[in-house]
Amino acid sequence: MLDTFEILTTSGVVLWSRTYVPVGANIINSLIRDVFIEERIIPQQEDAGYHPTYRKEGYTLKWTQAKDLGLIFVAVYQSLVHLTWIDKLLDNVRALFTGLYGEQLNSNRSNSSTLDTQKFNPYFDRQIQDLEGTSDESLNVKLTPPSSSGNDSAEESAPTLPVLQKPQRPLYDTSADSTPVPTPDTSRPTTPAPSHLLTGKAKPGAKLSRRDRKKAAGFGSAPASSGDEASVKRKGKSSTKKNRTWGEFGAEEEDPSVVLDYSQADLKGDAPEAEALEEIKQETWGRKTGKGQFVLKDLDEEMDAIIAEQNAKKESSAPSSGLVGSSLGAIGGLFRNVVGGKTLTKEDLAKSLRGMEDHLLKKNVAREAAVRLCESVERDLTGLKTSSFTTVESTIRTSMEKALTKILTPTSSLDLLREIQTVNASGRPYVLSIVGVNGVGKSTNLSKIAFFLLQNHHRVLIAAADTFRSGAVEQLGVHVRNLKELSHREGGEVDIFQKGYGKDAANIAADAVQYAAKNNFNVVLIDTAGRRHNDQRLMSSLEKFAKLAKPDKILMVGEALVGTDSVAQARNFNASFGPGRGLDGFVISKCDTVGDMVGTLVSMVHATGIPVVFLGTGQHYADLRGLNVGTVTRLLMS
Amino acid sequence: MAWHDEDSWLTAAFAPKLSTIAITLLLVMLLPIALHQFIYRVQTPTALPTFLLIGPSGSGKTAFLTLAERRAAAQTHTSTAPLSIEALLPDGYVPNSAHYRSPGDPAYERARRLLLLDTPGHGKLRHFATAQLVNPTHVRGIIFVVDAASVADEAGLDETAEYLHDMLLALQKRYTGAKTSKGPKEIPVLIAANKLDLFTALPPHLVKISLEKAISEVRKSRAKGVKDSGVAMGGEEDAVDEENEWLGEGGEGAFEFRQMEEVGTSVAVQGGNVLGGEGSDVKSWWEWVAEQL
Repeated sequence: MLDTFEILTTSGVVLWSRTYVPVGANIINSLIRDVFIEERIIPQQEDAGYHPTYRKEGYTLKWTQAKDLGLIFVAVYQSLVHLTWIDKLLDNVRALFTGLYGEQLNSNRSNSSTLDTQKFNPYFDRQIQDLEGTSDESLNVKLTPPSSSGNDSAEESAPTLPVLQKPQRPLYDTSADSTPVPTPDTSRPTTPAPSHLLTGKAKPGAKLSRRDRKKAAGFGSAPASSGDEASVKRKGKSSTKKNRTWGEFGAEEEDPSVVLDYSQADLKGDAPEAEALEEIKQETWGRKTGKGQFVLKDLDEEMDAIIAEQNAKKESSAPSSGLVGSSLGAIGGLFRNVVGGKTLTKEDLAKSLRGMEDHLLKKNVAREAAVRLCESVERDLTGLKTSSFTTVESTIRTSMEKALTKILTPTSSLDLLREIQTVNASGRPYVLSIVGVNGVGKSTNLSKIAFFLLQNHHRVLIAAADTFRSGAVEQLGVHVRNLKELSHREGGEVDIFQKGYGKDAANIAADAVQYAAKNNFNVVLIDTAGRRHNDQRLMSSLEKFAKLAKPDKILMVGEALVGTDSVAQARNFNASFGPGRGLDGFVISKCDTVGDMVGTLVSMVHATGIPVVFLGTGQHYADLRGLNVGTVTRLLMS
Repeated sequence: MAWHDEDSWLTAAFAPKLSTIAITLLLVMLLPIALHQFIYRVQTPTALPTFLLIGPSGSGKTAFLTLAERRAAAQTHTSTAPLSIEALLPDGYVPNSAHYRSPGDPAYERARRLLLLDTPGHGKLRHFATAQLVNPTHVRGIIFVVDAASVADEAGLDETAEYLHDMLLALQKRYTGAKTSKGPKEIPVLIAANKLDLFTALPPHLVKISLEKAISEVRKSRAKGVKDSGVAMGGEEDAVDEENEWLGEGGEGAFEFRQMEEVGTSVAVQGGNVLGGEGSDVKSWWEWVAEQL
């Protein structure tokens, strides 16, 4: 069974929700974080009517969006239950909600977050009933709860009600048009008679209650009431007919406090409207107990009409028919392309996006990442209107810049020094290890990091866990000798921990950590042997390494020179440390050799969602830099 | 045809012809209307004072926004887009500028109106907020919402302090980088310690002390940290002198919020809770807002 259904805006405000079983807010929050912000999980293609799913803590979430209105529709249910109708429900609810509230949302977009969605309850209940395929009996029984719940909520919404009524009007107008037509000639010929009867009864009752009310409220002025009666006579017939269906979901008017409110609105001069409202109330109340089903049928028709209208709108927006129409449309499209205010479709975007993709490929972004970026831009822009005096190209450009910034900006803090401080405060050395493919500059970048730490007066132990390549240990030894001399004045201290060649790297690393703890070193840097990322034999040893050495941070070194392979490298290394452990960051080396072709950064981050911590920008120990997202984005877009 | 010929256009323009008179009349009538149309379309309507809601994700920014708008906090989730709403200062709070106005005065009512701008707090989406900080035209004040319960533990405190540090640094840069000697308009900051209804929440004065400490730490490690890649990657040259800027009194000693007053930013810390068993309590925040209006 469905647990929760929520309709929320991109700015995070829940507009409408229905909770059957309470679900923690963190479930939907993590959906937003993982899917919409960090884009860790790419939603699958939405064709065949299947909406993407997201699983978290035993719940399955399905969602859909109305991008132009900035709405997200989320359905949450237990993963154990298999609900086949959720996709249909999402589609229908989206169509209904955008149909009912679309204009309102568009109009009060500026400076308001409120939207009264009380009225949406019966629509939703009806959808659920329809889709769950319950029988007619249960339908009749279930009819009452929504209205009674409406009654309960009436008290809270009472003061604002007159305001709410106005936007609802178009709604009941359409229903009024549709109701009289089907009633006489369809398969239920009994409908017209009771409805007329009821309206006849309703009138005096309505007047009576009005008078009572006025007495009670102390407004018993004769001229005013007579004027009201006149308005009843004038408006009587049309208004009663109109409002029959409408009252079904507006049943909250039964509440006395609301009624009182109307009399006041009456005095302000809204007499006909108030009159109309109260009459519905009388009538629907009479009808509901007896013939609830007919009223529901009307609601159904209305609902179907809205859904059909939305679907038709969607279809009609795609193709334009006729020779003249299409050519005019083409000219208009060209014009709008220059001036702006054009609603973007996939076709509009396709050409410019291909150009953008080529541009990214030229910047050494891996094909996979470029395609994904373009897709995310397409998702971002489809259905949006370009702002005035901007072309499609420039819209895509700004959107791409935004997407790049979003990808490259790290989620968490990357402050190495603070982390070291925190770990050391708990009484153990900070362990940092470096992995990577052969020849990307692991040892060089390790010594650069060591130099940076030495400048900050840390005591650094470098562990030579590359026991495979000849000369690796000696190479580190040279680095340590240089660093010792350089840091002599600065006050840092550095040493090497080595056990020669041929030993197991994981054990050496573990020993180095122990040694460091004993000898009062506060940072351990572990160098590892370079390995090919698609060699299972070599990669499997990394899991043991992670288990024994327990590094606080594992950085992977990647070359800026590498092209498409960077995605696979990042993925394989990220997956090689066993479950629950992955990479913590990238060091991108040799950035000074590629000029503005810094696409590798994007490819690696895109493949794994792991941030770039350092950039190697030269041959010297001091040539280690942090990432400047703005600069990289500018280089990529230039 | 020279200009002094009888039928040249210049002669015609000065001749007492009917067509000339008609054209002149038309011009005289229509030009002011056209100018009026143009100018009034271009000129933006008078902007309301804006208050920026900033803070890490999950601190209660959107909840406070809905509270300000509807007088009751709505259910909210993580924001992915900024949202601005027009709110009215609640009854019982008098805007500072309208202190001597009577409540029936339309100017009094106008002074109570304000714009609240909510920004997403997620690490990847902070550019919405920073873009506002670079060019704060109508920003009257900044409300930095802090989850007082999450500040109690290390990770939450670090995140909050880092964001607050970046924000204050941006404000300071705006002041020191000003072209005129007068300096830009002051932007006061309220650190709103939210969620005080929770048992684990720190009281406001402790929030202040721990944030000051944490910001000193952030500043220290920023000073020591690796340089930014901007210059090395062929970025613009202006990145060079930016690096010499440290928050508060040259970055020496312990940081205190008081030091920010030198650069035109007063920082106040007030407690409150948007949600909670006994309803919301954001009185002190509204008082602060009323003071800035």
